[in-house]
Amino acid sequence: LRPGTFTGTVAPTDYGPVQVRIVVTGGRMADVTAVQLPTDEARSRQISGRAAPILRQEALNAQNANIDTVSGASYTSQGYRASLQAALDAARR
Amino acid sequence: MLPGADGLPGPQQLAGLHQVEQVMGMPVSLVIADDLPYRALTALADGVFGWLRLVDELFSTYRADSEISRLDRGAIRLRDCTPEVRAVIDRCAHFWGVTDGYFDVYATGRLDPSGYVKGWAVQVASDALKATGAPNHCINAGGDVRVSGHPVPGRPWRIGIRHPWHPAKVCWVLTGTDIAVATSGTYERGPHVIDPHRGRPATYLRSVTVVGADLGAADAYATAAVAMGAAGPSWLASLDGYESAVVGEDRQAFRSAGLPVQ
Repeated sequence: LRPGTFTGTVAPTDYGPVQVRIVVTGGRMADVTAVQLPTDEARSRQISGRAAPILRQEALNAQNANIDTVSGASYTSQGYRASLQAALDAARR
Repeated sequence: MLPGADGLPGPQQLAGLHQVEQVMGMPVSLVIADDLPYRALTALADGVFGWLRLVDELFSTYRADSEISRLDRGAIRLRDCTPEVRAVIDRCAHFWGVTDGYFDVYATGRLDPSGYVKGWAVQVASDALKATGAPNHCINAGGDVRVSGHPVPGRPWRIGIRHPWHPAKVCWVLTGTDIAVATSGTYERGPHVIDPHRGRPATYLRSVTVVGADLGAADAYATAAVAMGAAGPSWLASLDGYESAVVGEDRQAFRSAGLPVQ
């Protein structure tokens, strides 16, 4: 193999066109990278004919619900004492 | 609670065990709902909390003698660390790659893998409980939750997502028999997640919840999305196998179509 950097032709894939680049040193392939073209995600999804996934908007509810546990941003010990999880823990005792 | 004699139930007549302990700087609540002898339940709980204390000894950034602190100041090399520390650092590097660098253990300038460690440690504990005869349990470590099986036969666990402005209310209720739920946000400890690309605390998203099979991954993804700010929701939507729910500082709420809401 000749030393140097070689770029292959563009191949279409589900994620958009992809091009492979290899680096040859000392007669051996030293590195291979797949370059996705274009890098813009929205454009590549458009090319593949798929809609970009989005999160759906909802009204922000404030509920009192029958639950076993609560997921929330991590609290300090003081925050825990005032939390719904602390009340649930107390109710189980 | 007092233990009963030789495997007989103690004073608590309900099946299972409930225990809360302060570990890793936060209250950890464990519920084991399996109808096992009392001594077996307490042995399982001791195993869970013993493991979490060991994790704290290895990973705490508040302890100068933890492996993470020593690694950070160059007192030891990664190859000299325990397999657990090496595995965690390896996973954190993976999450750094898949989050475009937004999950960054060096975001604060010091090595701090806490955004993954808590979830990972709880996931390991949950997997161990499952493997040792207690498939029905819930572990809540400071708001990061892992549930397995059922709280009572026939119904799934119900997990509330805390309302980001009302400490005593929830804004979504999830159900599951084998899910991990991690939430990251600014409403408890202020803007503490650093956007590593801008070098300042992220403030755009008030609450990000990620739901999936693995609590470590969910934890890392939630932290990364908070760091991303406005770009977080569309990045979350692109994740495979992980559902999400987001509330912005502007009170707008979003969720993925596959979120297991009640």
